[in-house]
Amino acid sequence: MPEQETFENIYKDLSKEPGRCRFAKGGMGWKVNGGTTWTIHADMINGCMSHWSRAARGYECKIHTKAADVGIMQLDGFEAHDFDRLKDILKQLYNITLESREHTLKGWNWGKAEFSKSELYFNVNNKPAFEIPFDEVSNSNLAGKAEVAIEFADKSDLEADATGKKKKKVFAGVDQLMEMRLYIPGMPEKGDGDDDEESKA
Amino acid sequence: TSNGVEKKQVKKFESYKRENQLPVGVADLKIMVDVRAQTIILPIFGRPVPFHISTIKNVSKNEEDPFTHLRINLVSPGQGVGKKDELPLEDSSAHFVRSLSYRSTDRARMAEISQSIQDMKKQALKRDQEKKEMED
Repeated sequence: MPEQETFENIYKDLSKEPGRCRFAKGGMGWKVNGGTTWTIHADMINGCMSHWSRAARGYECKIHTKAADVGIMQLDGFEAHDFDRLKDILKQLYNITLESREHTLKGWNWGKAEFSKSELYFNVNNKPAFEIPFDEVSNSNLAGKAEVAIEFADKSDLEADATGKKKKKVFAGVDQLMEMRLYIPGMPEKGDGDDDEESKA
Repeated sequence: TSNGVEKKQVKKFESYKRENQLPVGVADLKIMVDVRAQTIILPIFGRPVPFHISTIKNVSKNEEDPFTHLRINLVSPGQGVGKKDELPLEDSSAHFVRSLSYRSTDRARMAEISQSIQDMKKQALKRDQEKKEMED
């Protein structure tokens, strides 16, 4: 068994540039050519949940880290044949079980919004279509009857991004997702306590 | 029927069957229109997510320098009368993605995307209409 593994051309958290990603005993490091090395300590990923899925640049390894300032780490750009090597090293070094998760490509917009510990999943036919990390949500509210509006960038996010204080994934691309609205039937209606006692609380 | 919600047959449409059918351009994490698959691909937190043209209701564009805002409205229940036919409802408790709003500094491309979605929608409606007439 190798003591460490290195993967080239990996994009971290929707980065514009790819970098070199290394998994070693002490933790994981990621470095863009000529840049500084970003690291996360092994303790922060030990035993964490991890998924392997097709993403934008190639295949993605998502690790739900224990570090509050990192949250869900997305490493995109792996090739299909990297799976076994990655799976083995994650298990060996950090006791992470890399689970393969297939996404739906049906193109449907109906399913079930489900909540896990750190993400909202939108499942179509029992397969996720996409996930929304809770860290990325600025605001959510009942926008109308059975309608939930989820906002990803409020004023403070825009300011924090402009000053480089906090990098949210929402600002990573040219096309930035600012809001999503979901239709969720069966929720108590806003300002309507007649037919649902719980909504009075 | 119950609760006034009619059960409808799920329309048989599907954007892609396999991962390798996704266009190469998804790597750019930008909004894409794939006319061949009758699909719009939207980047959602690093994942290219397809939406078939049949799920698209309309699109609106709004300029607010330096950003162009694009709001994509999808077909969902409770959007007024006469829309029930479009709904692929098999399960009345289904959740829907109702709209997605993007902003971009790439003004020209946003205009192009908005136009192609509208054109694609128009053609899809025309095809549906022709099919209906054939059946009648």
